[in-house]
Amino acid sequence: MKVSIRKITDRKKEQVIIECVYVTPEIEDIKAYASLKGTELSGITLDQSMIRFRLEDVYYFEALDEKVFAYTKEKVCQVKMRLYEVEEFYKAYHFVRCSKSVVLNLMLLEGISPALNGRFFAHMKNGEKVIISRQYAPELKRIVMGGERDEK
Amino acid sequence: MKSKLVDMMMSFFICTACITILEGIIGMIFFPQLTFGYEAFFSPPLFGFLSVLFSIVNYSKKELSIRQVLFRRFLHLLLIEGLVLGLNYRTGALSDFLFSFVLAASVAVVFILVYVFVWIGERASAMRFNEQLKVYQSRQG
Repeated sequence: MKVSIRKITDRKKEQVIIECVYVTPEIEDIKAYASLKGTELSGITLDQSMIRFRLEDVYYFEALDEKVFAYTKEKVCQVKMRLYEVEEFYKAYHFVRCSKSVVLNLMLLEGISPALNGRFFAHMKNGEKVIISRQYAPELKRIVMGGERDEK
Repeated sequence: MKSKLVDMMMSFFICTACITILEGIIGMIFFPQLTFGYEAFFSPPLFGFLSVLFSIVNYSKKELSIRQVLFRRFLHLLLIEGLVLGLNYRTGALSDFLFSFVLAASVAVVFILVYVFVWIGERASAMRFNEQLKVYQSRQG
């Protein structure tokens, strides 16, 4: 596929245009990848200052006391979204629900290990551990393992 | 629900296999002179079935904390101990303290073994997931 880059001066006008005959899964992948790179969120840190951060830097979102927090490598900040909205909007960017209160970034997941009662620990790349509940484990496995059958 | 049933089936088969082996060992030690009819073959699966049936105490719609899970597991073990010791008492098999102690300890060993085997299965499943996760991340990233 031919690739061309045209430099512009205004950052707000940066965009990726894909010209194709058919929208194949590969084109969808490129679209999702390009969209992810541009996605920025704003949030309020614990010291009440407003910051902007990239979606791809978020390890996971967690709902605590009716508030939703985004966890990046260095910062924790509150975002003005409900957890179900996070799950719905960022599904295409590899964010999946792993428990009632957590939506994690599959791209920043190091691996999983078994916990008690059919649950699993999600080991994030920053060293944090998050619980994958029994209810959400099959869906997470379906996304990652695709056609490979693994009901547990 | 489906995965819960699969778990219960797996626990039943592991449980039955462990009970069969332990009944053989305990029987050879304490009652080597006794012989049984074909009906004796039904004893391990019956105990296996009842043990798995008692695992209903572990079921909860809510996510349980580690402490709650451990408490329910302990309750599950107590129910199985009660069942096995109670049935042996009724049949008059609980002849002395040593036998009762060995029987109770054996039940606990089977109980732990079942969970160890289930955990090994889950670890294997986690390892398969981790391999696929690397593939997924390299494909999507």
